Amino acid sequence: MLQKKICMVGGFAVGKTSLVRRFVQSIFSETYLTTVGVKIDKKSVALPDKTVDLILWDLAGEDDIGSFRVSYVRGATGLVLVVDGTRAATLAVALTLRERVEAEFGAMPFVLLFNKSDLADRWAISDGEINELRQRGWQIYLTSALSGEQVDDAFRQLALMVTK
Amino acid sequence: MIEIARNVDPDYRAQFEAVPTADPRMETLRQLLVSREISELSRVTHLLNEPEQLAAAVGDVLPGAAARAPHSQLGEALAPAVERAVQRSIQKSPRTLTDILYPVFLPAIRKSIGEKIDQTFQSLNETLRHIFTWHGLKWRLEAWRTGASFSEVVLKHSLVYRVEHAFLIHRNSGLLIAHVTADNATSEDPQLISSMLSAIQDFVKDSFNEKEQSGLDTIRFGDLRLWSEVGPSATLVSVIRGNPPEELHEIVRDVLLRIHEGSSQALVDFDGDSSQLAGVEAQLQTCVELKQEGSNAGFPWLVAASALLLLSLAGGWFFLSWQSGQRWQTYVSRLETEPGIIVAEQHVSGGQFYIAGLRDPLAADPQSLLSGTEVDPAQVHSQWQFYQSLEPEFVLKRLTASLAPPETVRLSIVNDRIIAEGEAPESWIDRARVAAQQLSAGGPVFDISGVRDVSPEVREAERWQAYVSRLETQLGIVVAEQKIRDGQFYIAGLRDPLGTDPQSLLSGTQVDPARVHSQWQFYQSLEPEFVLKRLTASLYPPDTVRLSIVNDRIVAEGEAPDTWIDRARAAARQLSAGGPEFDISKVRDVSPEARAAEHWQYYVSRLEAQPGIIVAQQTVRGGHFYISGLRDPLAADPQALLSGTKVDPARVHSQWQFYQSLDPKFVVKRLTASLTPPKSVQLSIIQGRIVVVGEAPANWINRARAAAEQLSADGVVLDVSQLRELDLVELNHLRQAIQTTDIFFSSGKVVPGPEQMPVLDRLADQIKEFAQSARKSGVTARFMLTGHSDATGRETANASISAARAEAVRALLNKRGVAPELLLVRGAGTFEPAVPENSQAGSSTNRRVSITVNLD
Ligand SMILES: Nc1nc2c(ncn2[C@@H]2O[C@H](COP(=O)(O)OP(=O)(O)OP(=O)(O)O)[C@@H](O)[C@H]2O)c(=O)[nH]1
Ligand SMILES: [Mg+2]
Repeated sequence: MLQKKICMVGGFAVGKTSLVRRFVQSIFSETYLTTVGVKIDKKSVALPDKTVDLILWDLAGEDDIGSFRVSYVRGATGLVLVVDGTRAATLAVALTLRERVEAEFGAMPFVLLFNKSDLADRWAISDGEINELRQRGWQIYLTSALSGEQVDDAFRQLALMVTK
Repeated sequence: MIEIARNVDPDYRAQFEAVPTADPRMETLRQLLVSREISELSRVTHLLNEPEQLAAAVGDVLPGAAARAPHSQLGEALAPAVERAVQRSIQKSPRTLTDILYPVFLPAIRKSIGEKIDQTFQSLNETLRHIFTWHGLKWRLEAWRTGASFSEVVLKHSLVYRVEHAFLIHRNSGLLIAHVTADNATSEDPQLISSMLSAIQDFVKDSFNEKEQSGLDTIRFGDLRLWSEVGPSATLVSVIRGNPPEELHEIVRDVLLRIHEGSSQALVDFDGDSSQLAGVEAQLQTCVELKQEGSNAGFPWLVAASALLLLSLAGGWFFLSWQSGQRWQTYVSRLETEPGIIVAEQHVSGGQFYIAGLRDPLAADPQSLLSGTEVDPAQVHSQWQFYQSLEPEFVLKRLTASLAPPETVRLSIVNDRIIAEGEAPESWIDRARVAAQQLSAGGPVFDISGVRDVSPEVREAERWQAYVSRLETQLGIVVAEQKIRDGQFYIAGLRDPLGTDPQSLLSGTQVDPARVHSQWQFYQSLEPEFVLKRLTASLYPPDTVRLSIVNDRIVAEGEAPDTWIDRARAAARQLSAGGPEFDISKVRDVSPEARAAEHWQYYVSRLEAQPGIIVAQQTVRGGHFYISGLRDPLAADPQALLSGTKVDPARVHSQWQFYQSLDPKFVVKRLTASLTPPKSVQLSIIQGRIVVVGEAPANWINRARAAAEQLSADGVVLDVSQLRELDLVELNHLRQAIQTTDIFFSSGKVVPGPEQMPVLDRLADQIKEFAQSARKSGVTARFMLTGHSDATGRETANASISAARAEAVRALLNKRGVAPELLLVRGAGTFEPAVPENSQAGSSTNRRVSITVNLD
């Protein structure tokens, strides 16, 4: 049995819970129920040479960095940083949360998700900005919990990264 | 030899005194042979004789001797002395011993007291249950045999528990290292449980600022207990069903210790790959094999005895806190049984109660449950995290909110499943299906198979049938035929014009009126109600006649003129063919004169009841009515009162004299008209007296007093004692400012010079402000402009100059926006000089317009 603890990190209502549900249960719902505290899910990912159980800790989104409960991240081996592509400010939130986690527990593998890619007409992040982040060697995905696009790819990539 | 003896013991010396010592050779020999022994012996003798030296010597060897002595004997020999010593020490100062023991026992005592109390209560309950049973007798025997207390024996035998699961959880990441299950125990995904448990621990730690090392001890879910033992790298959580003894902690702790010893490096290096730790499962297995039989381990007598010692010392304090603790426990167990509330941890420390856990937002508020428990809410510190309970009731509530089921659907809980039954449109069923799928992950089953899909057509047809059957039960409507074709509704039949309109019955049936095609033929229904309606419409019965249905007959009762009775009789004859009977035998004939006289009497009595009207006399003569009397001008007009009495005004001849009624109501009306009280004053009538309450300007109060005096002569009390003078404090300085302002003039001029313009500007502003504030308080401010002249020139000229100056100032103020009706003008000539008139300065100071403020 190989397991890895993964934390979903990002601002308020960016779609962390929706992404987990899409990935674990293949469903999506329009209704928004904010996460309180933490929600835990599990999904087995079959990799070429082994199978890993991802234990997904879906943390409550905090736009206010001060109230982020960093202690939930202890022992995690990877992060899913989630940004709401229709709200540019959530990028800064995700990056700050990552810094906060790294300061506490050191660097760890992560994937950066620009979510809600189905809302093209309200998209608020420029391609230039995304490319610039890719230049840093970051793994970036434009996901949609609604359509499921790129969701599996992103989690699978992180599974590879944390089992290397 | 004798010498030696002599030297060693004085008694011997005396005994051998007789032996001659004088032989010098003997002496020499002695010196040669034993001089060293002699000196050694004398040193030893000396030692034994000197208590201080002896003590020092024994002291040197005592520890060694004690260590080497046979333990049992030494213990026995020392026991009485030590006991006495301790006794003495306690008698002298109990503190010393307490201080010494304090650090040793406190942690143990703290723990033991709780456990002991728990156990005592358990045992009490059990004792009561077992006291008369066969077991009871057997256990009494055992207690007598072993010397243990009866309750202890009962306790030992009645603890029933089983460790169903053991989870070994990596402390750092919350990942599951190993999990074992007792036979036929079930659980959800252990990996998830493991992570959730550590999330709860994180949460509690954060919430209560607990120290790193101390983990969450116990969580209870009804019959299940989660015990967690925290080790350096891993936490062992055992899930226990039943009532485990405290010693189990020790056993579990031991297993955890051995796991750490055996695999410490692998635990530290654990990165989610549990294959490295395969061996620990076997060790965990020993935990789940624990059951009631394993609980025979000895009772911690020493700890319990010390606990009891301290318990008795702390008696009083303990009882009180125990009592409040009991109340607290009652509250906690109430919370635990509350659906949608999970108590994660609770403890009592320093008289304060701490509780933490999860609650569903739809569950009862833990705070509100406090009321009635006698637990002081101020001592309760709660930390609740919201979560979504998966208990069926809560899921039901949430589903009801999110799915908004139509009225035709009923949601209910049957055997922990949520069942939807009824009919719904397809779109709703789809949404419900999605919800059911979402729920399937962990939540209760949401069964929507009992919901029928209703097509709009079927629904409409049902509604149409409902409408038709409603029409059929309607009186005065006969449905001949009806059908539905191509979504259109057709109906034909008979209806009485007086019956309900079939069209109007459509409303509320949800049948689309545009698709209804009706053909109604009118007919006259002979049902009594319809006949009654028709009679009422055609006969116009007077108010004095009442028509009603008695046993299918229509009965008329009351009084009517003979003309009406004739018409009614004709109608009754017409009806007799086939219709219901119309019985007019109970209608009395009334003459118009009698009727008119009755009406007149009614009018007169109405007048007499009227305040402010006094009827002196009235008569009826030759069909005419005469009345005379007194009326207050403020009373109701007798003429106007005629309307609605059916008395013909043309036949009424009235003679009214005006008078002033002393009825307080009228007096108040008159006072209001004549005194025009300011808004801040209220007139009211209290027990026949008129009471004036409020604030008013002084001169209004004076007028009210004068009125009160006048009225008292007529015997009417006008109480002005509660009037207070209006105190416009905030306006006083403004008033002061206005009244000390003077407008000055050059000699012989009636228009002030340009240097006075700023003064006028300011004055105008002040007057406006004052007038406005006064109005807000309900009084009117008026400003008297008084013109003055100096004493040069003729008196008549001076008088007119002074008046002209006041007029000029009024015009100038008016130009600056002051309402002219607020300004009063007056010329004082030379009669009110500001200063004596005998100098240049005096004259110029007196040529002025001064202002006074009046309120009314
Ligand atoms: N169109 C669209 N909407 C999305 C997507 N992902 C999430 N949403 C919507 O965004 C809202 C918030 O989603 P959540 O998944 O609850 O967000 P969250 O990050 O878990 O929020 P918190 O738990 O409050 O931090 C919900 O109404 C979702 O339906 C997406 O990819 N596309
Ligand atoms: Mg969420």
